[in-house]
Amino acid sequence: MASKFGMAGGIPERRVRPIWDAVDTRQFKSALKLSTALLSKYPTNPYAIALKALILERMGKPDEALAVCLEAKDRLFSENVSHIDDLTLSTLQIVFQRLDRLDMATCCYEYACGKFPNNLDLMIGLFNCYVREYSFVKQQQTAIKMYKVIGEERFLLWAVCSIQLQVLCGNGDEKLLLLAEGLLKKHTASHSLHEPEGLLVYISILEQQAKYGDALQILSGKLGSLIVIEVDKQRLQGRLLARACDFAAAAEVFEKVLESRPDDWECFLDYLGCLLEDGKRWRGKKNFNHPANYEDSKSRLSDEVFNSRMSKASIFIEKLQAKAIDSFVRCPYLASLEIEKRKRLYLKAQGDKLRDALSDYFCRFGHLACFTNDVEMFVQVLTEDEKKELIEKLNASCESSSTMTTKQLGQLISIFKIQELFGILFTLSIGELETTARNMVKIFCENLPLSRDLDPQENMYGEDLLCLACNVLVQLFWRTRHLGYLLEAIMILEFGLTIRRYNGQFKILLSHLYSHLNSLPLAYEWYKTLEIKNILLETVSHHILPQLLTSPLWCDLSDLLKGYIKFMDDHFKESADLTFLSYRHRNYSKVIEFVQFKEKLEHSHQYLRAMLEAHILQLKQKADSIEEEELVLESLCSGIPLLEFSSEVRLNSLSFNEDTQTRPWWTPTPDDNFLLGSFEGDPSILGDNLFLCQQNQALKMKANARKLIERRSLLPRLIFLSIQSASSLLKENLEVNGSTSDDKNCSELRSLLEKYAGSLGLSFSAAVEEVVGVANGEKTLEARLFLNIVDWMNFTVFLNSWSMSSHEDGLVNVDGKKHHLWHTTDSIIEKSVADKLQYMEPLIKSAGGNLSILIEMITEPLAWHTLIIQSCLRSSLPASKKKKKGGPQDQFTLPISQSIQCSIESLGRTIEAVTEWLREQIDTTEDQCVDVLVALLHKEGCNEGPGQVLYALEALLSCCREQEHNDRISQALRSWNSANVLRNLVTSQKRILSEFHSICESKIKLLQKVKQQI
Amino acid sequence: MTTIRRFCCDDLLRFTSVNLDHLTETFNMSFYMTYLARWPDYFHVAEGPGNRVMGYIMGKVEGQGESWHGHVTAVTVAPDYRRQQLAKKLMNMLEDISDKIDKAYFVDLFVRASNAPAIKMYEKLGYVIYRRVLRYYSGEEDGLDMRKALSRDVEKKSIIPLKRPVTPDELEYD
Repeated sequence: MASKFGMAGGIPERRVRPIWDAVDTRQFKSALKLSTALLSKYPTNPYAIALKALILERMGKPDEALAVCLEAKDRLFSENVSHIDDLTLSTLQIVFQRLDRLDMATCCYEYACGKFPNNLDLMIGLFNCYVREYSFVKQQQTAIKMYKVIGEERFLLWAVCSIQLQVLCGNGDEKLLLLAEGLLKKHTASHSLHEPEGLLVYISILEQQAKYGDALQILSGKLGSLIVIEVDKQRLQGRLLARACDFAAAAEVFEKVLESRPDDWECFLDYLGCLLEDGKRWRGKKNFNHPANYEDSKSRLSDEVFNSRMSKASIFIEKLQAKAIDSFVRCPYLASLEIEKRKRLYLKAQGDKLRDALSDYFCRFGHLACFTNDVEMFVQVLTEDEKKELIEKLNASCESSSTMTTKQLGQLISIFKIQELFGILFTLSIGELETTARNMVKIFCENLPLSRDLDPQENMYGEDLLCLACNVLVQLFWRTRHLGYLLEAIMILEFGLTIRRYNGQFKILLSHLYSHLNSLPLAYEWYKTLEIKNILLETVSHHILPQLLTSPLWCDLSDLLKGYIKFMDDHFKESADLTFLSYRHRNYSKVIEFVQFKEKLEHSHQYLRAMLEAHILQLKQKADSIEEEELVLESLCSGIPLLEFSSEVRLNSLSFNEDTQTRPWWTPTPDDNFLLGSFEGDPSILGDNLFLCQQNQALKMKANARKLIERRSLLPRLIFLSIQSASSLLKENLEVNGSTSDDKNCSELRSLLEKYAGSLGLSFSAAVEEVVGVANGEKTLEARLFLNIVDWMNFTVFLNSWSMSSHEDGLVNVDGKKHHLWHTTDSIIEKSVADKLQYMEPLIKSAGGNLSILIEMITEPLAWHTLIIQSCLRSSLPASKKKKKGGPQDQFTLPISQSIQCSIESLGRTIEAVTEWLREQIDTTEDQCVDVLVALLHKEGCNEGPGQVLYALEALLSCCREQEHNDRISQALRSWNSANVLRNLVTSQKRILSEFHSICESKIKLLQKVKQQI
Repeated sequence: MTTIRRFCCDDLLRFTSVNLDHLTETFNMSFYMTYLARWPDYFHVAEGPGNRVMGYIMGKVEGQGESWHGHVTAVTVAPDYRRQQLAKKLMNMLEDISDKIDKAYFVDLFVRASNAPAIKMYEKLGYVIYRRVLRYYSGEEDGLDMRKALSRDVEKKSIIPLKRPVTPDELEYD
């Protein structure tokens, strides 16, 4: 019921206003005081009570707030309340929502609507409640009710949208669309439609039912005038015609669009798709607002028809080219490339036309930074010889004059980029590559004066050259394994950032290079300067998150995970309110879009992984104390809810939202790094080119991510059950009979281990054989286990725990053989760590992921195994018996006690070995480390090898005439100091080492303590 | 080859290369989505081949009477696609919608007083400095309120510059 004039919730407005003001200015104490005074006058008024609840919630007292809210609700529901207004309900709703009790808010509105039917405010409030709960059916029912009461078009459209949501995002049958169509048809016949978005909804309902003819009829009728921008109408018309397979008519429409929008590339592809009668292009393109995927499919036309259609397209495109007066209209020229490419794919015809068209395009647009992006999908179809010819042609067509212009510089950069894209750089010799990198840096330095008059915030001319030079240097490292090249790549980028500190691509490359050189703190520093926030957390975090996950920088990791998860959770909380905003503002297409987008983010694999890893991180941090670990596990409900993450439905609906285009070529996806493997001298590792390579890697990444999430989601539960299993072992020995719950745990553990092994690609028994084989020395580590060594170590640790409660004496039966798993576990851990250590060079001289794997081994399997030991010992030392003479000793006459003792000894040896290696690294002074790095870059009297590019750069700088630059650049050039870069790198490595060292130290202490307990 | 179309939520996942630029603010989700929910015609993205996001513009229409106007909240172009007049195309599009569909009197925007390249660009597009807003940006830097009159403002009254600067709390909108 609407508030009476000057009244709010039955209370005079003047009494309520000060409370809201105090809340708005966050003066909660005075708000509470005012609220108490108000309640003394209106003790039973639901609005006054609701206000108090609101204040309590804001003060951070959720339990009290909930109790007061429930009191307000009871008052509302009591018989003597004569009216309920939306103000009271919406205030309660705010509090319930913040308390995560949407159901209670809905319940209040449902009650109010039942008591006061036909009240529009209340019904809108109820509709909003259902929007928040994603109850599409109830939304529809409420909207229909409102439509019946008020008869307004908007409520009908609310109902129609709710139906669409049922079909697109719920379990609704497609037949429901017929109902929506019927409702719209009836309303349109009697009242017509007045909102453009209403028309779009109507058309989309028809389109979803493949009633294209009906949709076209409506669009060309009176209602069509609702779409004011003619070209929007034409695009819609074209799409409907194409989906109805009336390709000729559709092509005509798209021609018209192109005449008024000659630069519309999507439209050109639509046009070509129609000429080639390529129905695939429109299949699945249901949502009006969503961008189409580029598809390159062959049509089924005869050669003759195909040729005539392509000629038609060519003639039309030439017309567009002739008319294009704007020198930045690229579409008609790129269209020629598309046509030539199609001809080649369809007719399998060779010839110079595509190459010539590319070369023409270069003459016109080669100086633009986007040239390579524009042509990358066309150059794929060229043969190797054609690629070489093309490069020659491009070089020849570069404009030349005595002084370089920005246009010439742009063209030169494009040629370098194309060479990189073609993989041509991979075929060059080491010497040629060094020359190329030197040349790139030289061109950059020589052309610095071109940027003299630019604002410091603007991109400088030629900055891409430094990225290109960095890439060449990385390749040199890949091929020669000489670390100096990586250092040089870092120098080049650091130098670039000294001149202009805003270049994001330099920072990303540096993050990856420093990560690869085990200088994660520096990598993270550069990453932080990108100021990644909000939605970029979802798309950009992959540049640093995977490295942090396997690092000892637990505080940084925790901050990163918390920030990211909070962003996602906040969005999920507010998303429905924004959906309702779309309803209110009558932008119905956004309603569907918002709901689908929220689902997409909810299914983000990175989000799921982050949630899992945040919990696992806690488990790692507390693993030195079984009591604290159990508290963490308790807060995770013993890991049970996380198991749901590995359900098939969940794993199959994962979304991948990372923007991998910004990643360097040598690590195209977060789980792939070419530099870890060897360079075979064959560019085939990169596919035919980098473009294809990225696509293949993305597919691989998705498959890996599913497996990884599956394994990680099992981990907390495996830890919990293992601890239980270990603690029940000795109890069983004492009590003779095992309890039912122990049996249940044991069988659950077994089934989880089966799943774990499955995600590593083996059956349970094969997995057991594998680890036993390696432990016994029958198989080598390099074989199957090597790739996922940490996962296998984890498997073995939990397997051991399972075997304790499953078989006496810690034996497991595989193929009739019995194996001792305590020994197996010790052996796997010891061998794996020793194997890593064996190949560890001094950190300052090494690159790659060995250190992270070592860190993982210590902070995961070794830590979990130590927990299991702690659990065994604790159960053997019950508090009541601790002081009794002889108690524990008696139990430790059991065979298992010996195994535990051996295990502690083995773990002690393992971790000592790691610590010893760490100490050696830490004991090397910073100066000594810097000297090592300097030596990698300096070779007396040598004209080749690492360092040459850097020398060339510094030499060029020293002879630069200052007057050619502006003050800023001159100052930056003067401040450049390569020695500082090396020193920072060393400091950063030292930090990683010392963090890892302190983790190891605490594990040693723990083992000593445990040893004393025996 | 620029397809300019309505911005959609999925574009938020694809505009990284644009927003990694330090001058482009990445707003919170409710900011973007409120614009999408309320003024979808004022939020457009320019897309290149391979569905790469080249740049985008977001804005709104607001005001009463003769101050009914289009407002440019953000316009930005990825580094690889700069220096080819894409911002101009996006601006023209927003002006067109303000002019023809919403019949607004003018379009306005705020720019940092120190952002000389942007001011120069807006001036080239026909915008004039209408007034200075003192300490508009985080209470530190002054902002310039720039305006361009549309066809409905026949006498171009909306763009006659104010003689004195204003403070942020004197602003009617924003």
